[in-house]
Order: sequence, then structure tokens, then C-alpha cells
Amino acid sequence: MPERYLKYILVLPAILIVVLTTGGPLIYSALLTVRQWRLTQSPRPGAFVGFDNFSRAFESPEFLRALGNTVLFIVLTVTLTVVLALTIALLLQRGGPLRRTVQALLILPFAMSPALVGISWRFLLNPEFGLFSVTLGKIIPSLAHVNWLATPELAFASMVAADVWAWTPFMSLILIGGLAALPQETIEAAQIDGASRWRVIKDIVIPQLVPVLSIVVILKTIFAVKAFDLIFMLTQGGPARTTETLSYFSYTTGFSYYDMGYASAAMWVMVLPMLLLTLFYTRYVLKS
Amino acid sequence: MNYSRCLSSRSSDLLVLIAACVILVPIGWIVLAAFKSNVDVFQLKLFFSPTLANFATILDPPYVIHHKLLNSAIVALVVVVVSIPIATLAAYSLSRFKLYGASFMLTAILATQFIPAVTIVLPFFLMFRSIGMLDTLLALILIHTSIVMPYAIWMIKGFIDGIPIETEEAALVDGATRLQVIRNIVLPMAAPGVITASIFSFILSWNEFMFALVLTRRDAITLPVGLALFNAETGVQWHLLAATSLIIMIPMIVLALLIQRHFVQGMTMGAVR
Repeated sequence: MPERYLKYILVLPAILIVVLTTGGPLIYSALLTVRQWRLTQSPRPGAFVGFDNFSRAFESPEFLRALGNTVLFIVLTVTLTVVLALTIALLLQRGGPLRRTVQALLILPFAMSPALVGISWRFLLNPEFGLFSVTLGKIIPSLAHVNWLATPELAFASMVAADVWAWTPFMSLILIGGLAALPQETIEAAQIDGASRWRVIKDIVIPQLVPVLSIVVILKTIFAVKAFDLIFMLTQGGPARTTETLSYFSYTTGFSYYDMGYASAAMWVMVLPMLLLTLFYTRYVLKS
Repeated sequence: MNYSRCLSSRSSDLLVLIAACVILVPIGWIVLAAFKSNVDVFQLKLFFSPTLANFATILDPPYVIHHKLLNSAIVALVVVVVSIPIATLAAYSLSRFKLYGASFMLTAILATQFIPAVTIVLPFFLMFRSIGMLDTLLALILIHTSIVMPYAIWMIKGFIDGIPIETEEAALVDGATRLQVIRNIVLPMAAPGVITASIFSFILSWNEFMFALVLTRRDAITLPVGLALFNAETGVQWHLLAATSLIIMIPMIVLALLIQRHFVQGMTMGAVR
């Protein structure tokens, strides 16, 4: 078979699978955004409603809260994860048996699925017998018997903490790789010139690490938008829907209220920024 | 260079130890709970008489966790067997040939992973519902294949990119066909990459939660969704839940350690080497 056909035949099955399983559903959900459809009332999509689903979303307090939560969740988890991951990566630079062992441990939280992370944290945070809440109560008595998942602010903070716990080790692994690839000459030159360690990190290491840092930031942003399993297992979006993010809001709208058009509209509010981010990631970040 | 010297070496050792504890304690605590009786689990005892009774209980009705284990294993294995050969062929072509629209294809393949899963699950739910395929392993296998495919293509392509092309060219000059070259030269050399991608795909499918949650009800429930079984009316049965968590976790930790070196590369899809 001539090679100019063969090369396309080789990619065809894979491309077909991706198009059929992602492209197709994506287009279908885009079409649903302009339909009114309650699955409990009709097995088929209902009337064309234009952008009503979108305007309904932006007038709904639940949707706006989920949108705000998503933005806050992104900002908090990305910032905390990057700062902590960079700290761990720098701390582990020196090598030696202790640090090599700890570096090997960094893979463990990632082997746990987000659902498992959510469950484990719910266990740790239980006000009566959770290791975290009881230990904290022993150290700071005023925090004893705080029910971490019962108030909106604390439940949200718990979600952020669990998510940061799950992702920081993995992001440190990426940054350790990035640090190892930095050219050592400028760093050594600065040290010979008597620059302090902190100055070297701030003025030489971090600027050179920007490409890798931007990969970490973008990946973590995407993981924050996609976060669902952890929220489902940890707070279920509660108390009283106050910790829902857009992913979770779309899920409850679609699969608890069976409001398919409205759910699709809420999803597309997430999809568009994500597609732009992908474009940015592949165009600028992966190329550099 | 020695970055950590801006702290005294003892305080930096201390920070490293704290980080290790923060990573290990939550995992260790749930592992311990798996061996505690339903009385001990409500106490913060570090020393207790360990029991294997939880693992026996979760096999009994109504939990029958081995049934969920079997579902998870079947789905993940079939997904690997189906998607890895397809991904390998595509990766080879994208690595070795100039294809019209190759960079668009690679971007689009990557983009599928950036889209929140909830967007894809809704149309699939509606489709499987209308053709009566909800709660079947086949539906899950289809979906997981689509989740795994992009990662597998990018990972295997990264490995093939790193294999020198000369041996292949020599074999082609000697009259071997392209498919013979793929089978006899590329596959053996790319084997570590293909195996890594297979393990990675297995982990993704095994841990996948949202699709399994939405698309299964009773018969096709996988292990992660099975965790919800322990929310009894009397409260969460933590000892049983911990035992099931351990069953989910152990194979994943073993597999993750096996491919540790390539793990980061897999997740960032070749962005960082």
C-alpha cells in the first residue's frame, strides 16, 4: 500500500474514536444549550428557547455562586499548590537518602483517585473521631469539635485543602524535573559574586523556571475546573449547595433535576474558556 | 546548587520531614482503619488489635465488593487491550510521517482532555439511556477508551520520537514493508513506552469516577462508585469503606511505582522531560 494512504489509515481509528466519543457529544451538548428539556417530562428535547438557558443561569443565585466558587477554587488551589510545590521541589534539591525517600513518596497521593482523596479527608475531618479535627482540637482547644464540613466557609476551605494535598506532590515532581534541567552556570556565577541563596532563587532560578511554572499553573487550573470526584465525596456541594463549583452545579442540574438544556448551558460556560486555554497551552507553552 | 542552604540544614530537614508526614498520614490513617473493628474505628487509637473481618464483610451481600472488583478489572483490561494498539499505530504515524493537519490533530486530541468530563457525560447518558445501554460494562468500556486514548497517543508518540529513525530506514531499503518495520523494529524498541502507556491507561480507567457514577446503577458498578454503598442510614461505615479503599489503592500504588519515572511525562503529555 502506498505510504501516502497508509499514514492516514494508521491514525484513522484513533481519530475516529476521539471524534465520535468527544466531538460528537460536545456538539450535541452545544445543541442542547438552546433547548428546553426536562427529562422527567419528555424523552425528547423540547422547544427552542434561544439563549434563555444562559440568561436563566446568569440570573440564578445558585449558578452565580457556583461560578464564583469555581473562580475562587481555581485561584486558591493554583496559588497554594504552586507555592507549596515549588517549596518542596527546592527543599528536595540537595539530595541525600532522606530527600530521595521523600521524593519517592510524592507519587503516592496521585495513585489515590480523587474520589478516594475526598473520602479519606471526610474521615480525617470528622468532628468526633477524625484524626485531623481531633488533633487540631488538642493543640488549639477552641477548635475542638468544630464541624469542618457543616459551615459553607469551612467546607469550602476543606475542599481546597484536600485538593491542594492531592495535587501538590505531583506538581513538585514536575518542578523537580524543571529544576534539574536549569543551566547551572549562571547560578554558580551569581554565587561566586556573593549573591545570597534567597536572591539566587528569586532573581535567577524562578525567572528561568517560568516555562515549567506556566505548565504547572495551566494544568492545575484545568484540574481545578474539572474537579468533581473530590467534591462529590467530600461535601456533595453542601451544606445547602454552597460549595458547588460549575462542574458540580452542572452535574446536579443534569442528574438530580434532569434539566438537560439548562445543564448543558452551564457546562458550556466552562467549555469555552477551557478551549481557549488549550489553544494557549499548545501554541505558547508546549512550544517554548 | 544547594538551594536549601538559605535555611539551616536542620530546619530544612525538619520541613522535609513535615512534608513527608503530611503526605503519608492521611493515607496511613485510612490504611489502618481498614484493619480496625467498627468500635476501634471511632477511636484515635494507634495501637489496636488488627482484624481482617472487614475484608470478609465487604464480600457479603449487600456489598459483594468482589463483583465490583471484577467489573473494574474487566473494564480497565479491555480498555487497555483495545486502545493501546490503536494509539500505538496513530502515534507511530504522527511521529514518523508528515500528515496533513497533524498539529491540528494533536491539539484537538489534547483539547479533549481539557474539557470537563461532565460536558461529555450528559450526551452519553442520554444516548445510552435511549438505546438501553445504561448499567452495562460495554458502555463504560467505550467511554473509558475515549478517556485513555489521548493520553496513550501523546505518551507513545513521545517515546517513538526518541527512537532513532536510521534502523527503520535501513530495513525499508532492504525491502521490508512499513508494517513489518512497525512490528519488528519499532514495537520492540518502543516496548517500555507502550507498557508505560498501558499501565497509565489502566490506572486512569480503574480510578475513573464520574462516568461510572452516572452510567451505572447496579450490575456494572465499579469499585470507586462502590464506595457509596457504605453510606448507611445509621451513618458511614468507615471500617468497611476503608477496607474497600485499600483494595482500590494497593494495585494503583504498585503500578504507579512501576512507572514512576514516566509518570510526570504522561500527565503533562510530553511537555516536560
